[in-house]
Amino acid sequence: MKKIIALALALIMVFALVGTQAYADKSDAVTLKIWFHGSNVAPDSSKKVLDELNVYLQDKIGAKLEVIWGTWGDFDQAVVTALAGGDDVDMVFTCNWSADEYNRYARDGYWVKLDDMLPEYAPDLLALIPEGIWECAKTNGYDGMGIYAIPALKDTATQNCWDVNGTLLAALGYDVDEVCAKGLDYYSDEFEEMLQKAKDYMAAQGENDFYPLCVEPMVLERLVNVSSIVTGDLGGGNVLSYYYDKDHPANDIGSVIVNKFGTPEFEAYAKRTYELAQKGFISPSIQNVGTSNDYRTACQNSGAYLISTQSYAYGCEIDFSNARGIDVRMVPASAPYMDATSGQGAMMAISAVSKNPEKALEFLNLLNTDPYVMTTLNYGLEGFTFEKNEDGTISFIEEGRSTYSPWRNGMGNVRILPPTADEGLTYWDDFAAYYNSAEALPYGAFIFDSSVVETEGAAIANIFAEYAFNLCSGATDPEAVLPEFLQKLEAAGMSDFVAAANDQLAAFLG
Amino acid sequence: MTKNHRLNSISAGTEAIFHVIIGLFSIGCIIPFIFVIIISFSAESSIREIGYSFLPKAWSAATYTYAVQRLPQIWRSYFNSVLITVVGTVLSTLMCALYSYALFRPDFKFRGFFNFLSFFTMIFGGGLVPTYVICTQILGLRENYAALIVPLLVSPFNIIIMRTFFKSSVPLELVEAATIDGSGEYSTFFRVVLPIAKPGLATIALLNSLAYWNDWYLSLLYIRQNKILQPLQALLMELQNNVEYLNRMSASLGSSAIQEAMRAPTQTLRMVLVVLIVVPIACAYPFFQRYIVAGLTIGSVKG
Repeated sequence: MKKIIALALALIMVFALVGTQAYADKSDAVTLKIWFHGSNVAPDSSKKVLDELNVYLQDKIGAKLEVIWGTWGDFDQAVVTALAGGDDVDMVFTCNWSADEYNRYARDGYWVKLDDMLPEYAPDLLALIPEGIWECAKTNGYDGMGIYAIPALKDTATQNCWDVNGTLLAALGYDVDEVCAKGLDYYSDEFEEMLQKAKDYMAAQGENDFYPLCVEPMVLERLVNVSSIVTGDLGGGNVLSYYYDKDHPANDIGSVIVNKFGTPEFEAYAKRTYELAQKGFISPSIQNVGTSNDYRTACQNSGAYLISTQSYAYGCEIDFSNARGIDVRMVPASAPYMDATSGQGAMMAISAVSKNPEKALEFLNLLNTDPYVMTTLNYGLEGFTFEKNEDGTISFIEEGRSTYSPWRNGMGNVRILPPTADEGLTYWDDFAAYYNSAEALPYGAFIFDSSVVETEGAAIANIFAEYAFNLCSGATDPEAVLPEFLQKLEAAGMSDFVAAANDQLAAFLG
Repeated sequence: MTKNHRLNSISAGTEAIFHVIIGLFSIGCIIPFIFVIIISFSAESSIREIGYSFLPKAWSAATYTYAVQRLPQIWRSYFNSVLITVVGTVLSTLMCALYSYALFRPDFKFRGFFNFLSFFTMIFGGGLVPTYVICTQILGLRENYAALIVPLLVSPFNIIIMRTFFKSSVPLELVEAATIDGSGEYSTFFRVVLPIAKPGLATIALLNSLAYWNDWYLSLLYIRQNKILQPLQALLMELQNNVEYLNRMSASLGSSAIQEAMRAPTQTLRMVLVVLIVVPIACAYPFFQRYIVAGLTIGSVKG
C-alpha cells in the first residue's frame, strides 16, 4: 500500500513538472514566434494555415513561424507579463495605444533598435514604406533616437468625420447629397434645426427615447475644435490640444501645444454641447462614462441616431451601411492628416530577448512585401477561407473565415492583399491614393515624453477624470464648472505639464 | 392549530418574518440568473430593439444551436473544464489533507516550520512576474494541462481550515488506539482519520472545485498557442473582454474597432456561455451540501 501510494504520487509530480514538451522543435530550421493582437483564430484553422505557410517560409528564408493569436481581451495583460518575464517571443505587436506602449517599452529597452539592421535584412521594406511613416516610427529609445518597430502600412492618416444617418435625413425631407456636400457646422442654427426635426419625427412615431446626437464626447471635441491628439499625452485621456488648419493640415498656424480646456475654443464648444444636451439631443447614457460606449455602439448599429462621430477609415461607410442596414454617410469635418499615430497605430517590434533578430527582420520584410505570405497569414488559404474570382478579387468562404480572421490592419502592409469582391478591384489603389494624399501636421511625428512630469501627470489625471468627460458630453454647465476645473488643473501643475510639452516640441523642431 | 410547540421554538409571527426575509434574499440571488437564462433565449432582434427584458419581443434558441454546432471549441472547453476540475480537486484535496494531517499531529517534529511555510505564503506573495517566470521557465508550466492545475494545488487557507477541522473532530486517542492495534501511518490516515473527516474534506473539495471551475486567469497567462486547452471560463472571459476592450479603445482604434466589434459574438451568445458554465457546477452543489452543513456546524455541541 505504502509503496503504491508513494509511486503514484511520484508519477503525478513527474507528470506535472515535466508536462508535455510538445512544443520542442525537432527540425533544423529557425523557429520564429510572433504575437499578434486582436485575432479571432481557432486552433485547428491556425495549424492548417501555418503548416502550409511554413513550407513556403522554410524554402524562402529558412525559418518556421509560430503564432500566438492574441485576442483583444487577453493581449494587454498577457503581453505585458510575458515581456516582463522574458518570454522567448521574437516579434510582438505594439503601438501607441496598447499596454505594451511602443515608446515607453522602447525607452525601457524591450525592443531591438532596427536602424542599422534595416538596410541589410529588410531592404525591400525600407524602400516600400514612405519616409514620412518611418519618421513617425522614430522614438527616443534605450539605444538612442531611432526605429524600434516596423510600422504597418495601413490606414496611415487620421480624419475626423461626422457619421450621418442618410436614411433618416432623407426621411426628414433633406437632400442628403446636398447636406453632406456642404458639410456640417456644429454652431449653426441649421445643425440644431436638423436635430430638432429628427427628434420630432421620431416622437411622432412614438419613439420618445430618441436622441439624435449620438457621439463619442472626447472625439466630438477634437472634431469640432480641429485639434489632434498629442502622442504621449496622459495615459488615461488627453489634456493637451494641438490645433491645425482644417483644410490644409500642413499649414503652420503656430506650432504650439496648449491646455485643451483653457482655450476660448473649448469654452465655446462646452457651452454649445451643454445647450444641445439641455434641449434633449444627447442621451444621458452618452453622458455617463460607464455606459457611453456601449450605448453609442448599440444606437449606431441599430441606426437609432441622426449624427454621430467617426474617425474615418477608407471605405468604412460601405461596411457600416451594410452592417447597420441604413445609408451611412461620412461628412469630413477636416482634411486627413498624418502625425506620430500614423506610424504607430500598429507596429511589429522585435523583442530584445529574441535569439534570431536578423531572421525575424527578414521575416517581417517578407511579410510586408510578399503578397502570398501576407494573404495567407491575413486571409488564410485558398479553398479554405477564400476563393479567387475571375476578375482578380476574392470572396470569403464564411465557414472557414469565421474560424480564421486575424485583425487585418494589425499585421503590416495591407495594401498588397487582394481586394475582396465587395471592395472592388481598384480598392487598394484608391486606398493608397487616399492615404498618400494626407498631409503631415507641422509638428510632424512629435512624441511627448511625459515621464519628466510624472508627478504632475498623476495629479492632473485625477482631476481630468472628475471633470473632463462631463464637460465634453454636455452633462455639466461650463459656466459653473469650467473655471473651477481650470483652477484645479493649475494647482496640480498643468502649466508645467504644458510647458514641458512645448519645450520638447521646440527641441524636436530644432 | 396543534399546540405541539418544540422547545425554544419561536413564535409563528417571527418565523413568518424570517421566512419572508430569507425568501426575498433567495429571490434576489436567483433572479439575476433567471434573467440571464431569459436573455440567452431572447431573439437578437429583440435585444437590439428593447434591450434586456424579462419579456422579450421574440424568443429564440438559435444561439444555442449556433453554439452547439458551430463552435467546436465550446465542447473542448467543456471537456477541459471538467477534466481540470476533477483532477485538480482530487489532487488538491489529497494534498491539503496530507499536509494538514501532518500539521495536526503533535508528534511531528517540524510542525512549526511547515506551519510557518504555508502561513507565510498566505500573507506574502511573490508577485505576478516572478511567479510567471518560475512557472514557465523552471517548472515548464505552459501550454499544457499541468499549467492549469499545478498553480492552484496548494491553498494555505484550506490547509488551515482542514487542520482546525482535524483538531476539533479527530481525537488523538483514536490515532494512538489505531497505532496500538497495529495500523501503520497510511492505514491510520486513510482508514481511520479520513472517514471521520469527511465533512471537512467535502468542504475543501467544494472550495477547490469552485476555484478550478471558475479559474480563467491561469489560462490567460499560460495557454496562448495551444488554445485547445482553454477551459470554458477562459473562453467566456475572452469573449467578454474582447467586447469591452474594443469599446474602451474605440477612440484610438477608430473605425477599425467598430469593424472588429461587428464580428464579436452577440450578447445572447455570451449569456448562453454563462448558462453553460453555471449549470454543471450548480449541479455539483447538492452532492456536497449534506457534508457542508455538517462541516460548517462542526465544533458545536451535537444533540
